[in-house]
Amino acid sequence: MIDARPAVEQLRVAFTQAIIGVGSLHGIPILRLDKRDVPTVAHFIHTHPGLRGSLSLLWAVDHRPREARDELCYLFTLAARKDWLLLATDLPDGEREFSSITPTLHAAKWYEREVRDLFGLIPVGHPDMRRLVRHEHWPKGTHPLKKDFSWNRVLERVQGQYAFRKIQGEGVFEVPVGPIHAGIIEPGHFRFSVAGEPIMQLELRHFWKHRGVEKLFEQQQLTAAVPLSERVSGDTTVGHSLAYCQAVEILLGMEVPQRARYLRSLFLELERLHNHIGDVGAICNDTAYVLAHAHCGRMKEQLMQLNDRLAGSRFLRGVNCVGGVAVDVTDAQAAQVVTELDAIERDFTTIEKILFANASLTERLENTGILTERIAWDHAVVGVVGRASGMDRDIRRDRPFAAYGELQPQVPFYRYGDVRARMRVRLDEVHESIRLVREIRRRLPQGPLTVRPRREPVAGEWAISAVEGWRGEILYVVMAGELGRIHRCKVRDPSFVNWPAIQWAALGNIVPDFPLINKSFNLSYAGNDL
Amino acid sequence: MFRIIKKSLKTGVVTGHHPDVNVPHEPVSREAIEKARPFRRSMTIREVDTGSCNACEMEMNALVNPIYDVERFGVHIAASPRHADALVVTGPVTVNMERALKDVYKATPDPKLVIALGDCAVHCGMFKGSYAVTGPVERHIPVDVRIPGCPPRPAEILAVLEALRKDPPDSAR
Repeated sequence: MIDARPAVEQLRVAFTQAIIGVGSLHGIPILRLDKRDVPTVAHFIHTHPGLRGSLSLLWAVDHRPREARDELCYLFTLAARKDWLLLATDLPDGEREFSSITPTLHAAKWYEREVRDLFGLIPVGHPDMRRLVRHEHWPKGTHPLKKDFSWNRVLERVQGQYAFRKIQGEGVFEVPVGPIHAGIIEPGHFRFSVAGEPIMQLELRHFWKHRGVEKLFEQQQLTAAVPLSERVSGDTTVGHSLAYCQAVEILLGMEVPQRARYLRSLFLELERLHNHIGDVGAICNDTAYVLAHAHCGRMKEQLMQLNDRLAGSRFLRGVNCVGGVAVDVTDAQAAQVVTELDAIERDFTTIEKILFANASLTERLENTGILTERIAWDHAVVGVVGRASGMDRDIRRDRPFAAYGELQPQVPFYRYGDVRARMRVRLDEVHESIRLVREIRRRLPQGPLTVRPRREPVAGEWAISAVEGWRGEILYVVMAGELGRIHRCKVRDPSFVNWPAIQWAALGNIVPDFPLINKSFNLSYAGNDL
Repeated sequence: MFRIIKKSLKTGVVTGHHPDVNVPHEPVSREAIEKARPFRRSMTIREVDTGSCNACEMEMNALVNPIYDVERFGVHIAASPRHADALVVTGPVTVNMERALKDVYKATPDPKLVIALGDCAVHCGMFKGSYAVTGPVERHIPVDVRIPGCPPRPAEILAVLEALRKDPPDSAR
């Protein structure tokens, strides 16, 4: 499936001195570097016209108690072939400093701050060294993902003040919003610097909902953590649990049966459908088009009730399990799903036509919240937001999982990068999802639903898996520990990547349009804060 | 404009078209019903999320869609705790949200009702014991009504709101 060999060869030639070792694991090439050389190599991968790698994930591992070292890993997606390439570097016992790659790669900004907060490793040269996950009232030296930090430690509270970036000048003032803000919504803090109505600067402060998910994973057995992964972000139950299951399946050498693969695709598409339809309605609602919102809400509810009938959960909880799926769909049920989706598609198409014919709606959506292709690329933006800004990427097509290798999904993409483009991506994906469900029903093979593990997990072995959830690319890195436990589980929801980009999309827009822009991104706070 | 009105007329009334659920898991206490007495005809809710996974909020959002249409029972959702008669709190209380929750509670005018929605708010659910979680909602503010479930279905939430509007089953009047 993956062939990054030419790229590795190219790097080898360019950096003979720097590369300590070349390896590969589960088909992903790994280059091991000295920590001083990481910024140069990362910059080369990012900018070289033949590679054009975007940073997909950056994570750290504390290898204690087996080995006294910390490891930093940088996962790149190469633009041309859509392959993965991994850079790894070691920080031997006690060493806390590493060179930051943020000055040349914007996308690393939050990742490095996160590594600093959770592991106490210091990205030297990082332009923004404020705390990210640990709010100011956390005591000094609390780095929860270090192995000597107990998962159930009670934190005391200290004094501290977060310093927001300031813009000064005549008539410039700040509008602080949150963490508890309007509507039925998750907590987050937004600080607008405005002069009159237009936004001059938006600064986000998140991580209010940090629940210690990654540490909780480390308390679990590999096969038992599926329910936790389902609760990382409530609206992406199937996406997260599927990504987690796939990673564990690699570690246990499991080949998921054909029928289970198709059913996984089916559930993933059902999840995408109800979320996308809900989002289209919500965007209309924020332009005060309440009737369209009501219609979309009705269709969304219809889909949620369909989920409930199929799986006994409106959010499709409990459908994925390690090795396959836990819920079967009978022929009669599959036929009924298709009939119901046919009806919804007719219904939805009528609404869609009405929306497109509505000039006052288009007027609000056009040229609002533009995220340019350049900024999207710099921040390695993923998912719906990326596809609306000219990033033609979809994991379902680029590195197929579940049954997508045979289904060949079509990927819509636009270049305007405004709210309208993001809405159009969603509208197109709704139709595509319904088509895929029909296709799945037509091809659904018979057979078993689960397999048993073929081998015991090897302590220290790890696996990466990617799933295109409805919001975008979800990544999981799972590393096995002793006795079938999890040593490290890095979770990356697409929101973590897309949140910084919203700060750019909001610039120059008026404050009252921000809810609309925010809604068109519709990012998860829970999946971001973990 | 006329097209969407035509569409709406053709769609007809969908309110109430949801499967029945056999609830409540936990009967609403007498004290809570007494406390909710002033809000029987009209109750304004402020939703506060202190660390949930967002599924509970989605179900609260579903309450205002045309199928459940909670407004027909006089229940409104407010954007500010200053307008609220009741707080619906979801999620385990995280270390970072503890202060904000207490502030919201203080900002809500008396008399007020606190509803803990979902397993996380009731007993921290899966996040119990984590370093980043300071305990269930009732550790920080007094809770009057508990709605368990992960997440509870909208019809279950409706049933509890309904129970708050009725006289207690064993009441003398």
